[in-house]
Amino acid sequence: MKENRINRQAVILSKEYHQANFTWILTLLISLLFLMNSFSFKTGEVKPYVFALFGAYLATALLQLFIAWRIKRDLLLSGDIRKGTRRLGYIQLVSLATGNVFTASFSLHLLNKRKTPEYTFAVYTVLTQLFVIAISALNMFKPYVTDTFPMAMLLLLLVLVFQVVVLAIVAKTIREDNYPSSVGILALLTALTAITGNLFALLLGGSLLLKSRSTDESRIAKWNTMWEKITRNTMAVFGMFFIILMLTISVVSRFTFDYEVAVENDYGNILQSPSLVYPFGTDNFGRDVFSRIIFGARISLLVGFAATLIPAVIGGFLGGIAGYYSNRTDNWIMRLLDVLYAIPGILLAIAIIAAFGANTVNLIIALSLGSIPTYARTMRANVLMVSNYDFVDSARALGASDFSIIFRQIVPNSLAPMIVKATLTIGGAVIATSSLSYLGLGVEPHIPEWGNILRVGSTYLESHSYLAIFPGLAIILLVLSFNFLGDGLRDALDPRLD
Amino acid sequence: MKTGYSSQLQKSFREAQRKSMYRFLLYLAGLPLHLVLFVIYVLKKKDNTYEVTLAKVEQELLKEGREKRYLAEYADQLRRKAEFFQEQSTPEKIQRQAEELSAERFKREAVQITDERLARDGVRRESYFGYVYSLLGKPAFLVISLLPGLIMYALLFLRSNPFLKYITERLVQSVFVIIGVGILVFSILYISPFDPASNILGESATNEQIAAFNRIHGLDLPYWQQLWSALKGIATFDLGTSFTGSENVASSIANKFPITITIAIFSVLMAIVIAIPVGILSAMRPNTILDMTFMLIALIGLSIPNFWQGLIFILGFSIKLNWLPATYSPGNALSIIMPVIVLGTGLTASIARMMRSSLLEIVHEDYMITARAKGLTKSQMLWKHAVGNALIPVVTVIGLLFGGMLGGAAVTEKVFNIKGIGSYIVDKQFIPDIPAIMGGVVYIAITISLVNLFIDIMYAFLDPRIRSKMKQS
Repeated sequence: MKENRINRQAVILSKEYHQANFTWILTLLISLLFLMNSFSFKTGEVKPYVFALFGAYLATALLQLFIAWRIKRDLLLSGDIRKGTRRLGYIQLVSLATGNVFTASFSLHLLNKRKTPEYTFAVYTVLTQLFVIAISALNMFKPYVTDTFPMAMLLLLLVLVFQVVVLAIVAKTIREDNYPSSVGILALLTALTAITGNLFALLLGGSLLLKSRSTDESRIAKWNTMWEKITRNTMAVFGMFFIILMLTISVVSRFTFDYEVAVENDYGNILQSPSLVYPFGTDNFGRDVFSRIIFGARISLLVGFAATLIPAVIGGFLGGIAGYYSNRTDNWIMRLLDVLYAIPGILLAIAIIAAFGANTVNLIIALSLGSIPTYARTMRANVLMVSNYDFVDSARALGASDFSIIFRQIVPNSLAPMIVKATLTIGGAVIATSSLSYLGLGVEPHIPEWGNILRVGSTYLESHSYLAIFPGLAIILLVLSFNFLGDGLRDALDPRLD
Repeated sequence: MKTGYSSQLQKSFREAQRKSMYRFLLYLAGLPLHLVLFVIYVLKKKDNTYEVTLAKVEQELLKEGREKRYLAEYADQLRRKAEFFQEQSTPEKIQRQAEELSAERFKREAVQITDERLARDGVRRESYFGYVYSLLGKPAFLVISLLPGLIMYALLFLRSNPFLKYITERLVQSVFVIIGVGILVFSILYISPFDPASNILGESATNEQIAAFNRIHGLDLPYWQQLWSALKGIATFDLGTSFTGSENVASSIANKFPITITIAIFSVLMAIVIAIPVGILSAMRPNTILDMTFMLIALIGLSIPNFWQGLIFILGFSIKLNWLPATYSPGNALSIIMPVIVLGTGLTASIARMMRSSLLEIVHEDYMITARAKGLTKSQMLWKHAVGNALIPVVTVIGLLFGGMLGGAAVTEKVFNIKGIGSYIVDKQFIPDIPAIMGGVVYIAITISLVNLFIDIMYAFLDPRIRSKMKQS
């Protein structure tokens, strides 16, 4: 009886069991989405490709359900997951062929019993690389590819092979307490592969380096706990995965995608429906919407990051000064920022763009200006809290200057809420960018940007609705990813939740 | 009754002296009265006991050699400090600092001893402040000076009541913010490199035509003059005529405002009606399937761009199902449904998330444990103690998000072809039509400031924590 209760506890605490359940529900939902789209209500005919996808996802979901049941049974019987159950992960790994990242990452995690942060990083490094190659490979159906395509694909494949080897090494040799110093070279090489934009590789390399070189136990423990908390939140990791995937795609697309297809008019192929050659169809000028969306990711990420970084630095600086110095400085800065705060961000952006014209730089400035006050308020509240701590008093007693107290004691200790805030507002910046472009006030109309693509799509809503649906989905996925990651970071970094 | 007022005024007057801003305002408000009083004060003041005593005390202390002693003390301290921190410091510098410090301390000590001595003898230091303070205590004086000092008394009276003081300060702050918004928006449009005249008149316009256009609209005036007339125009609801079509800007804004506000209010109502029960349900069963589903939907709602949601709604409900009209028409009540839902989605999602986290935080408060300890049922605890307190931050968030919603209205109005203030600003920005953009943005900012002002003042009455904080300060 007592045995049983302990095992029940194991079921509740098991990370794998929760993930298994979560994964089969999500896969089932996706398969239902495919089922709904495989049937055309107007003409009554069934689209075979979409229906096949539905079948594949349904099969995956059922297998996943079976794995979840096996895990629960194992845990209830012996309090641990058996080897046979873990081996099912190999079968489930086949679902990667349908592009199901949820089951793929689950099965890779099921296969390895010891979960170090490095293993998670390695898994996602490989997954990101795989997805980038798969998306780039869609270009092979086009009548022609860019000159750099074969070379770039070859390089990407080589990097993939290398990363798979690293994954295997990490899975076999890395233990919680064993980091051989020979890993150093491997770690450097892995980190080097991050030039494709695959930041997971950078994290993996950095983490391995830190642990093989550093003798500071507390630093390693801190690093481990932080990543453990973040990776516990499955959605946050998937958010991070999608963001890094988009980042990698925007770097790699320079060499694997043809910019001409995205911007040059091709009047022979106007308003084609989605097909293998044109995965998301073509628009009213015969431009490939898929390539346009891929190139649009670049702009969205650039504007999103720039319009977050600039106000975070300026607002953080102003808020820090306001919080640290006397009442009078505080009052002046915050009252002046209240003026900015009183105008809604979008309206301020419209006014600035009205005055200086619509282009990407003005857009970034306009969006940045509007969000300075929120960052200043966040920073000020943090600084007010941190500057009451004892270590600040001791720094002052040791004769440190105000400047050094602010930048060496206070700022590092009040960064966490700023990072969370920034992550959560990048999504807002992405939405604002596409909204303004949709109104014709954002990025120049000839540049492929998600809002611009939607603007064209909205005029063909009745006849070619896919033109408006796909870019919108891209925006939602990216924003959702940032929001998930932001939520995950907040839960991980908030000391109140410890 | 009269004495009650006068003691209240006295107290308020004493407290106001502490803040330099208020002191300045008080003397400014009662300027004629103070001029007369000051003359009388100077004439009446014959008693110079204070100055005499102070000089005597200083002499005594000097004789005692106190200043020298302080000087030596400080010099010693400063030298030791420099030694400890291994700072390079010249003897002259130490000497100078020590002199400053000792002079300051000497002065302080002298004043203190003087005050003590005079207090022992029952003599008070005469000052203009003390003189006015004593006068305020006399009801007869108040009656005589009521007319010239009316503004000052009103100010003192406002200050004496914490609620009135809070409301007045908040009002003044809003006025300054609104003026600031006007200056900011006007300046942005003023430094614009675009030339409305050549945009409207076309490439072929002659210099005379452009000059005439600029004269008509006052664009040839210097910056300060244009700014002043713009601010005056906002305050008096007279923004002149727009650059194109020569329509009256204020009246066209007034025509377009109601529909924007109507949609915004309906959106807020929808958000409150849906989000608060959802937030409560989620917080009551945290981390269950129900909670996770609600929060996932809320996060998706936060991530959907307004215009895309609008397009998908039009595609689904207007084109495919043919249930609702795709564009807004004033007479058709059905056509307002989609804009309201689209505009309110983000707000609904935010409120639901906020309500959940706020309620979850409150559940762990000590007073909730007390409530349980005294045997309340779960629903009594929830409705009597938790929900009300959880709503406090939520209402603030609603006020803040209301602003963002009015800003987002521009996009939604464009999608559904609504002739509201948002689409008006967007239409006018291509020229750029300065009075129209300026009017639209500033009036929206004023509306938002008023809503937030209203919410803040409501709190002053409803939230006991703010109430007690106000009374303490």
